[in-house]
Amino acid sequence: MTDAIETEKPAADTDATTRTNADMSKDDVLLRVENLQKAFGALVVTDHATFEVERGTITALIGPNGAGKSTLFNLVSGFYEPDGGTVTVNGVDVTGAEPYEVAEHGLIRTFQTPRKLEGMTVREAMLVGPQAQPGESFVKLFTSPGAVATAEERNLERVERILAEFEIDHLATQPATDLSGGQLKLVELARAMLAEPEILLLDEPVAGVNPTLRNKLADQIRRLNEQGTTCLLIEHDMEFVMSLADPVIVLDRGSVLTEGPPSAIQSDDTVIDAYLGGGGV
Amino acid sequence: MSVLSDPRGYWDELTATERGVTAALGLVVFGLVLALLTGALGASYFLFLFGLAGMYALLSLGLNSQWGFTGLINFSVAAFFGLGAYGAALMTAGNSPIAGGLNPVVGLLVGLVLAAVVAVAIGIPTLRLRADYLAIATLGLAEVIRLIVLNERQWTNGSQGLRGIPTFFEDWPVLGTFTEVMPAIEVELVPGSPVVFGTSFWQQSLNVALLLIFLGSAFLILRRAQRSPWGRLLRTIRSDEDLAKALGKNTYSYKMQSFVLGSVIMALAGVFYAHLNLFVNPGDLDPITTFYVWVAVILGGSGSNRGALLGGFVVVAIREGSRFVGDIAWLPVGSAPLRLLAIGLLIILVMRFRPQGILPPQRELIWPSAVDNAAPSRPDRGVRDAKGGGSDD
Repeated sequence: MTDAIETEKPAADTDATTRTNADMSKDDVLLRVENLQKAFGALVVTDHATFEVERGTITALIGPNGAGKSTLFNLVSGFYEPDGGTVTVNGVDVTGAEPYEVAEHGLIRTFQTPRKLEGMTVREAMLVGPQAQPGESFVKLFTSPGAVATAEERNLERVERILAEFEIDHLATQPATDLSGGQLKLVELARAMLAEPEILLLDEPVAGVNPTLRNKLADQIRRLNEQGTTCLLIEHDMEFVMSLADPVIVLDRGSVLTEGPPSAIQSDDTVIDAYLGGGGV
Repeated sequence: MSVLSDPRGYWDELTATERGVTAALGLVVFGLVLALLTGALGASYFLFLFGLAGMYALLSLGLNSQWGFTGLINFSVAAFFGLGAYGAALMTAGNSPIAGGLNPVVGLLVGLVLAAVVAVAIGIPTLRLRADYLAIATLGLAEVIRLIVLNERQWTNGSQGLRGIPTFFEDWPVLGTFTEVMPAIEVELVPGSPVVFGTSFWQQSLNVALLLIFLGSAFLILRRAQRSPWGRLLRTIRSDEDLAKALGKNTYSYKMQSFVLGSVIMALAGVFYAHLNLFVNPGDLDPITTFYVWVAVILGGSGSNRGALLGGFVVVAIREGSRFVGDIAWLPVGSAPLRLLAIGLLIILVMRFRPQGILPPQRELIWPSAVDNAAPSRPDRGVRDAKGGGSDD
C-alpha cells in the first residue's frame, strides 16, 4: 500500500517555505478525487466519483441516504481500498494508502458516531491528537525522557488551550465515556485540530446534537477555517450546510450529481429530484 | 509523593480499596513471617513459593501489557513461558541435546530472543486483523509449541524433560559461592523449636533476589511506558483502533511492539522458572498456566500493573494454599477440585461486584512530570476514583 504514495512529491510536509511554494504550483486544490470506484459485490457504492476541494474552503458533501457519502469518506481517508480511480492529497497520490499514511499527509477525519475512549479522561483522549510525539517511541521513553517530558508539557498546554477555546475546559478530567453526544462531537473536533490537519473531513458533525451545541460547532468550524484549515463535511442538516459551506457537492448513487454555491444547489431541480426520489425510483 | 518521605501523606492519598489491599497484604506478610520464625512454615519452601508467586506476577505483567494495555488476546501465555524456560534450559541443562553447560546469561538471551522471534512471526499475519484472529492463532500456537517440545526429542529431550539446570548465579564471582560462605543462622522464637536458616535458605534467597531484579525491571519499564504517549496510544488502540488510525498512528506497529514486549516478559518468567525449579518438562507448557494468568490479570484489573502483581500473588496463594486442604480431615473435597472451585468462585465474585478488578488503573496516561508542570491546577490524582470505575467509598 505504501508503494502507492509518490514520495518524491510531498514537499508540503517539510517546512513552511517549501509548502508555500508547493501550494502555489498546485492550483490551490488540496484534495482531488478522480473517477473513484468502489463496489461491494454487485452493489456499486461509488461510481466514478470526481471532485476537488480547494484550499481554504468549507466544502459540503450532501446527498440522500445511501448516496455513498460515508463510503467516499472511507475511501478518501484510506479505510476502504478503492477498486479504481485516484485520491490526491496536497499533490500526493494516496490511493490505497493506509489511513495513518493518509493522515500523515495532512488529511484527518472524524466519525459519524463519535468514538468514546473507554477508561480515558477527556484530556487523555485529546492528547492522542498531536502527531509525531517523541513519547510515542518506546525507545525514546528511556533514551530521551527529557524530550518526551518537554513535548508532553507542550501538548498538555495546547490541550488546555484548545479545550478553553472550545469552552469545554471544565470537562478536562472527566471520563470521556461520561460525555453527551454533542460534547463528544466537540471533543472529537478539538482533538482533530491538535493533529494540525491541512484538510479536515467531518462526518455528520452535528447529527444528534442539540441546537445550542450545533451553533457552537458551526462557530468552531468557521473559526478553524478562518485559521486556515480546509474542511470537507458530510451533513444532512441542510440549514447547517447552507449557512456554513461553499461550495456544496451533491452525491447521488455514488456519483457526483452537481456542485456549486449553496444558493444554486438549493434551486437545482436535479438535486430536488435526487432527494425526493424523482429520478424514477 | 513517596511512601518513604511522607508515609502519612501517601496513606491519606490511597483510595479505600488500596488501603484495604495494603492492610490485607500487611496482615498476610505478618502471618507468614511469624509462621517462618516459629517453624510452622519451612523457610526454603516459603521462599520457593514466593519465587513462584513472583513468576506468576511476571507472567501477569506480560499479559497485562498485551491485553490490559492494547486489548490483544493472547491465549499462548504458557507457550511464551515455555520458550523462555526451554531456551534457558537447552543452553544450560546437563542433559541438553543441543548446548548444555553454557552460562545462564546465554540461556536468558536465547529464551528472550526466541520468544521475540515467535511473537513477531505470529504477529505478522494476525495483528492487521481483528482481535479474534490473534486469539485463535495463539490458541493454536500454544498447542504447536507444546507438541513440538513433547515430540521433537532430538532437540528437547521430549517427555523426559531437561534436568541439571544450574542456578542462575552458579558460575558468578562472589554470588557463585554465596550459599557456601553464608553461615547457618538459628532462631528460637518458640522455646524448644529452633529454626535454622541454612544453605537451602540462602539459595532460595538468591532466587528471590533474581526474581526481584526481573520483576522490578519489568514493573519499572511497564510503569514508565504506560504513563506516556506510548501507553496512551496503546489504550486508544484498545478502545478504538480506527480512531488511532484516523489520527495518523500506525496501529499495526504499536500492536506488534506491545505483543513482543509482553511475550518477552512472559519468557523472562520462563527463564526464572528454569533456574528456580532446575528442571523443565513439557508439562510446564500446559494450558492451565495460561488460564491462571488470565485469572490473575482479570482479578487485579486489566491495564493495571499493580493489579497484575496482586493477581499473580493471589492466584499462587490459592493454587498452593489449596494443597494444605488435604490435611483437613473433615473436608470432603480434594485439593485439586477445590483449587479450581475457589478460582472460579473468585472470578464470578469479581465479575459481579468489581468488574474493573481489585486495583484498576487510576492514574491518567500522561507523563507524570507534565501533569505537575503543565497542568498543576488539575492533578491526575483528582480523577482516580472516576477512572477506577466509581468511588471506592
